[in-house]
Amino acid sequence: MDRRIGVFLCNCGGAIKNIDFDIAAGKAAALPGVASVDLSSNLCLEEGREKMLSRIKEEHIEGVVVAACSPEFQEHIFRGVLKEAGLNEHLLAMANIREQCSWAHEGDVTEKAVELMEMAVRRARSLQPIEKKELPVNKEVLVVGGGFSAINVALQLSRIGLRTTLLQEEALLGIGAEESERFCCFDTDSMISAAEIDENIEILTSAQMTAVEGKVGDFRVVIRKGVEEIIRKYGAIVLAIGCQTRLASDFGPELRTGGGAIAGPNIVSQEQFCSMLVNPNLEKEPRTICLMFDFSDENSRFAAVATLNNALAAKKKWGSEIYVFYKNAKVDGQGMERLYREARNCGVVFVKTDASPRIAVENGRVGIEARDTFLGEDISLACDVLVAEELYLPGEGTGTLNLLLNVRRDSRGFLQDENVHLYPVGSERKGILFVGGCRGDSGIGSVLADISSVVMSVHELLSAGRIPVDVEKVRADPQKCVACLTCIRVCPHGAIHLTRTDNSKEVAGISDLACYACGICAAICPAKAIRFQGHRDEEIVTQLEAVGKALNGCHVAFCCERSAYPAADLAGRLRLHYPENLRIIRVPCAGQVDVFHILKAFEKGAAAVLVMGCEEGACHHITGNTRAKERVKYCDMLLKEIRVDGRRVAMFNLSPNAPHKFVGAVNEMIKTAKEPGR
Amino acid sequence: MIIAERKPMEEIKELVAPYKKVLVAGCGTCVTVCWAGGEKEVAILASQLRLARSAKGNGIVAIEATVERQCEREMVAEIKDKVAEADAVLSLACGSGVQTMAEMFEDKPVFPGVNTVFIGMPQGEGLWIEMCGGCGDCFLDRTGGVCPIVRCAKGLLNGPCGGTKRGGKCEIDPDKDCGWVLIYRRLEKQGRLDLMRNYYAPKNYRAVKRPGKIQAGKA
Repeated sequence: MDRRIGVFLCNCGGAIKNIDFDIAAGKAAALPGVASVDLSSNLCLEEGREKMLSRIKEEHIEGVVVAACSPEFQEHIFRGVLKEAGLNEHLLAMANIREQCSWAHEGDVTEKAVELMEMAVRRARSLQPIEKKELPVNKEVLVVGGGFSAINVALQLSRIGLRTTLLQEEALLGIGAEESERFCCFDTDSMISAAEIDENIEILTSAQMTAVEGKVGDFRVVIRKGVEEIIRKYGAIVLAIGCQTRLASDFGPELRTGGGAIAGPNIVSQEQFCSMLVNPNLEKEPRTICLMFDFSDENSRFAAVATLNNALAAKKKWGSEIYVFYKNAKVDGQGMERLYREARNCGVVFVKTDASPRIAVENGRVGIEARDTFLGEDISLACDVLVAEELYLPGEGTGTLNLLLNVRRDSRGFLQDENVHLYPVGSERKGILFVGGCRGDSGIGSVLADISSVVMSVHELLSAGRIPVDVEKVRADPQKCVACLTCIRVCPHGAIHLTRTDNSKEVAGISDLACYACGICAAICPAKAIRFQGHRDEEIVTQLEAVGKALNGCHVAFCCERSAYPAADLAGRLRLHYPENLRIIRVPCAGQVDVFHILKAFEKGAAAVLVMGCEEGACHHITGNTRAKERVKYCDMLLKEIRVDGRRVAMFNLSPNAPHKFVGAVNEMIKTAKEPGR
Repeated sequence: MIIAERKPMEEIKELVAPYKKVLVAGCGTCVTVCWAGGEKEVAILASQLRLARSAKGNGIVAIEATVERQCEREMVAEIKDKVAEADAVLSLACGSGVQTMAEMFEDKPVFPGVNTVFIGMPQGEGLWIEMCGGCGDCFLDRTGGVCPIVRCAKGLLNGPCGGTKRGGKCEIDPDKDCGWVLIYRRLEKQGRLDLMRNYYAPKNYRAVKRPGKIQAGKA
C-alpha cells in the first residue's frame, strides 16, 4: 500500500532526553511509506497541533504516526487533528516513545524509538478508516417489577420525558414496597397513584415477559398477559424485580405457630412482626421481644434496617422489653447509626454474641441462650416473640429472567455479575440495567442512588433518540463466515446474532450498537472471518515483522489497554526500568489476543510472549481475561508439543496501578526465556 | 456435521519430515465449525510447523490455503497452483476431503492432518458429541429420535444393559448419559413407551455396503 505517512515526533518539551531526535527523524524518513517527518516539542499544545494540521494538508498525508507520549493521554487530541484535516481519525498510529521507551530505560534509546516508530508506521499503513454514524434508537423503556425501585425509576424517567411500561407479574403495583414505606417513610400509595395517572407510564399487571430479542435501542419483547401475547419494542430494559426473604434457620414445626397472634411459642419473620405491629386486634401485647440479625449474613443492610425499625416501633407502641441479638451490627447505611442510637436510647438492649443463639421452647415461651461477648457470660432469657433472623435471597423469577436476557448472575444468584466494571447498575449487555433488591440487598440509601444511576444511564442512552457508533468496526465477513455460532456463544455482550445476508445465507451479524469492540470474537473465529478494524491480523503481523527484524532475543507483550498498558506507562513515569528488548502491542482486551498472533510473534523471533490483562473478575469484557488465560495455556501446549525449548508464553493479570507487578512479570519472563540456540 | 480432531503433533511432524515445502490445506465446512481444520487451525498448524522446523535448523515453507469444501473437486481446483508449488499436502479436511485432494493431485503425497472421528453436534462452546454412526439403516423412528447405536456405549438395540448408573449415567463413562435412559424418557414424554416392549433382531450391519454409494432419485 502506498499511503503517504506523516511522522510527527515530539520531545515533550524536553522531557524526553535520551533519544537523539535528529537521528531518529532521519531514520524515520527512510522508512517505507513515510512522506514527511516533523519534529516538535509541544505537539499536543495548540501551536503544535496547528503545525501538525498544516503539515498534514501541505504534504497530502494519508496516515499519521505520532511518536510522543502514551496514547493514553493525547490520542484523542491527535485524532481530533486528523479529523480537522479531513482524514479519518482512525488512520492514526502512536509510537509511545516517552513512557515505554525514554522513561523506561537508562542510556540512549534512540534505536528502540526508531523501532517503535517503524512498528507504528507499518501499522499506520495498514489501518483502515472507520465510518461514524448515528443510529436511531427506540426511546421507550421497559421496567420489569412493580415495587419501590420500579415505580421510582418509571416516575423519574417520565420526568425526563421517557415513556415506560411497568411490567408487573402480580395483580397490583407496590407489592414488596411496604418495607420502604414502613422503614423509610416513603408514601407508597401516593407513589403508586402518581404512576397510575402519569401519561408517560403504562402499567401492565399480571403480565410476564416471555421472550426478548434484539439489542440496545431495539429490544423486541414478548409479553404474556393472561392468554394474550403482546409484542412490544423498547430501547432499554430495567429489571427491578426485588428480592425475597426466608428465615435464616429452619425452625422445626414444634417451634413455630406462625400467623401473628401470640399463643404459645411464636417465632416470626420481620414481615410477620410488621403485621403484628399494625394489627389492631392483637390478642395480647408481647411483653418481651427478641430480635436477631446478621449471624448468617452480616452485610445485609435490609435486615439491619428492618430489625432496628421493628425494635424501635415495638418499643414505642407496646413499651415491651426488647433484646436485639447481633454479631457485628453494621450500621453504615444512610440513617442507620441514628436509628441504632435512638433504639438504644429508648431502652432497647443490644446483645453482642459471636455464635447464633440457641433457641428452645419453654412453657409456651421462646427461650434463648447465648454468650454475651462483652460480659463474657452466658445469658438466658425467655420471650413472647422471637423475630428470627432473615436472609435476603434473589427473587423468584430471577433465574428465568437472566436466561431470557442472557445476562449473568452473581455467586449468590442476584442479578449482576460480580464484576466491578458493571457496578452500580449495569449489565454486560448495553441497555439492560438492574436496580433495587434484585442486585442483592443494600441499604435504602444505595437503592436511591441506584435509581438515579439507572435514570442517568437510560437518559444517556436514549434521550437523544440516536447513538453514535463506529460502523462495522467489528464485522464478520459473510463470504468467510460458516455460521458455526462460536462468536455468538462467546460474545460477553450479547452483541452477535445469526442473521441472513441479502442472498439469504445465514451468517453472524455483529450489532454496532451493542458491540463494545473487545475482539474476543475475532480471536476465536475458526474461519478467521471476523475482522476487527485496528486489530486485524495484518495490522498485528506487520508490527511483529518490525519487531523481529530489529531484535536479538526480543520479547513481545500484548497489553490490555485497560490494565497492563497503563501499568507499563506508570512504570515509565516512575522510572522503573525493564529490559529494552520488550515490545508492547496495545490491545483492547487480553481476550483479543489470538493464538495465531502469539505463534506469529515467536515465528518473527520473540523468545517470550506475555499476554497481560486485567485482574481476574475485573475484566471490562467479563470473560476476556479468563479466555486469554485459557488461550495462553493452549498456546503453551502447542509450543510444548513442537518442543521449542526456551520459548515462553505466559499470562499475567494486573491492574492499571500495578507498575511494579508489570516490571516484575516482564523481568521474570525475560530471565527465563531464550531463543533456541542462544 | 462431520467432527474431526487434529492428529498428534509427533505424527504430523513425521509425516512432513521429508518435505521442504508443504501445503497445509484447510476446509471451510465441517472441520471449520468443529475447530479442527478451518483457516484458523491452518494458520496455527503452519506456524507450529515453521517454528518446529526452524528450531531444528531444518526450515520448512508452510503454505496456507483453505477451500470452501475440500470434498468438491471444483473447489479444490481453486488452489491447484498452491498444490503445484508444494512437495506434499497436509490436509486438515475430513477423510473425504483428503481423498478428493489425493485423487486430484495423484503425483503429490497427500497426508491427513486430522482424524475424522464422528458425525455429531455441538453441545456447547468447543464441545462436540457423537450423534450418528452412519450405519445406513436408520433406527431413530423406534427410539424417540435418540440413536442407540452411537449413544449407547455398547450399541444395544433392546434396552439398557445392567450398567446404568444413578442419574441415568453410563457405566463405561459416568460423564456420559445412558442412551437408553434418554430413549426411555423421550418415549415416556410422547406416550410411546409401548415401543420399549418391541424386540429388535440384531442389526444387519451388512446393510452398510462398502464403499457406500447414493444416487439421488431425480438426478
